[in-house]
Amino acid sequence: MRGSWTRPLAGLSPRASARFWAASFLGPLGLWCAVSYLPFLWHPMMRVTDPGDSAWMTTGELVDRAAFATENAEVAGRHGRIAAGRPANPVFLPAPHEVARALVTGFTTPPARPEEPWLHQALWHSIQVIFWGFLLSSLVGVPLGILCGALPAMGRLTEPFIEFFRYLPAPAFGALAVAVLGIEDAPKVSIIFIGTFFQQVLIVANTTRRIDPALLEAAETLGASRRALVTKVVLPGIITDVYTDMRVLLGWAWTYLIVAELIGVSSGITYFINQQGKYRAYDRVFASIILIGLIGLLTDLVLASLGRQLFPWMKTAKEGWFSRTIAKVRGRGRGRPDAPVVPGSETAEEAARA
Amino acid sequence: MSTEVTSMAAPLVVPSYLEQAPEVAARFSRLKQRPVILEVRDLSKSFTSPGRPPTVALDRISFQAHRRELVCVIGPSGCGKSTLARLVAGLEEPSGGEMLLDGKPIRGPGSDRGMVFQSYTLFPWLTVLKNVMFGLEVGGQMSHAEAESEARTWLEMVGLTKFATAYPHQLSGGMKQRAAIARALANRPRMLLMDEPFGALDAQTRCQMQSYLLQIWRQVDITILFITHDLDEAVYLADRILILDAHPGRLRELMEVAVPRPRSADQFLSPAFVAARHHLEELIHPRANQAADKLPAFRMTVVGDEVE
Repeated sequence: MRGSWTRPLAGLSPRASARFWAASFLGPLGLWCAVSYLPFLWHPMMRVTDPGDSAWMTTGELVDRAAFATENAEVAGRHGRIAAGRPANPVFLPAPHEVARALVTGFTTPPARPEEPWLHQALWHSIQVIFWGFLLSSLVGVPLGILCGALPAMGRLTEPFIEFFRYLPAPAFGALAVAVLGIEDAPKVSIIFIGTFFQQVLIVANTTRRIDPALLEAAETLGASRRALVTKVVLPGIITDVYTDMRVLLGWAWTYLIVAELIGVSSGITYFINQQGKYRAYDRVFASIILIGLIGLLTDLVLASLGRQLFPWMKTAKEGWFSRTIAKVRGRGRGRPDAPVVPGSETAEEAARA
Repeated sequence: MSTEVTSMAAPLVVPSYLEQAPEVAARFSRLKQRPVILEVRDLSKSFTSPGRPPTVALDRISFQAHRRELVCVIGPSGCGKSTLARLVAGLEEPSGGEMLLDGKPIRGPGSDRGMVFQSYTLFPWLTVLKNVMFGLEVGGQMSHAEAESEARTWLEMVGLTKFATAYPHQLSGGMKQRAAIARALANRPRMLLMDEPFGALDAQTRCQMQSYLLQIWRQVDITILFITHDLDEAVYLADRILILDAHPGRLRELMEVAVPRPRSADQFLSPAFVAARHHLEELIHPRANQAADKLPAFRMTVVGDEVE
């Protein structure tokens, strides 16, 4: 490293890169630990361990620090036994170890009431809503976006209205969606769809317009028909960028999930989180939120790795852990079967000249 | 570079660029016996943008290119030489005049005219081999296997056999342009249009590419229209050089290069080469204009600290 990472756009060694990756998680985690385990940092409450002669405090209760002190002063004034307690954080900020415990026990603890879902059922339900909403949106949005980007007339015909529509907040259509689609999963899927679709068309159209026009001209001089220009130049030319767009859009779809799941019969991870909030089980609330993040992160890592596998011509293409795993599963010693024999380099150029 | 050559040439007696050795003259008369592949008549092109007077890029250009001739187009920037290539390729619509390829009018791009661009236009998602196969496959007259064996032949011709499975981003600039030439030639076009194809390459690679191009041209039935701004490149490659004026782009002269063939880098100092080079220099950078090259004089150093 030797400070080279302070230079703008400097490359990072794989080792430094891994370190910074870890630090980006360890930093916030460290902050959380500090706030949770260092009593002098925040801890605005007192956990009562012995109520003494206090009239209203009970063992295990969380009391505001100032109220605790006032009460103790009052008890001391009438020569009573003062209450004992230790500094604590509010109930809505559980410590890391409590959340970690909840992450494990969340899956093993049956729901408080039989009609409530287990944690894994709630999560699976949410994933299905996201999946269908995003899939339906992509099935229409991606082809339409490519068409808008490739054909200016089509873009002009479609995009102004979509530009208007995308400012309408998806949740605003909740009541309408319930009226039309009922109270089960259909309106939830439709909210994800509305939240994703309009952005998707515009983003894919813009990506399509960024294709190098010289590639189209080169194809024309090679005798490509208009149809071939779309199928053999535009599509393969933008597919890697569209793939990246889709990864970003999938993240956005998740942000609509919570609102979507409140519509009609509340369901999925949102319902689970709300129920835990009602029981004041904030460790489980945190555990659920973290699980959503982990699912998102994991999906993105898998998709990134899958992308490197699918698009071997990308400059960043390299063997990711995913393709290595696939290769292992297939029982082969190599990841990419069609890897070039001689990677291009100045020495390779010399070899070709000779 | 240009001043270097003229100062070296100064003590030499520069012969007239019109003087042709008997074998060169014989070659030109044979060349002109060949059928005309490209006929350009009164070709004009102006670009219009709203709120501005139209810019005339080309003004009534006429010339002919014979079969297997190598014509270079040269001129100062803004003379519309790239526009000429794009018009012949069918990528632009002419504002006036006509272009005939084998006697048939040119309408739109087609596989009978291949093009190599200055920017690298290999398809990044295809391997080198698949790039060369592209035109053969969209043409649709060939099976996949035929197209592949045809493409391999062309890769061999440009010396890229070993890189058939590499992707374009793994190639150097010179190799990319060689692959682009193979891709254009694989379609068996009547003409190859080259729009400053070696302009982005370093001097050494450029020399090498020029030599490659001459070798390929010798072995293939192809007529080449080569756009360049490099005077040496034009003299080294061309049978005839089309010299254009700028603003508006007019045909100044169609010059026959008296340098004998086969060409080699040894000829750069031969009298015929120097004469042709000198003539181009006079036309494109006239001495009268050299005063315009002077910057206003500001001294930022101490007197007596001159470097020249």
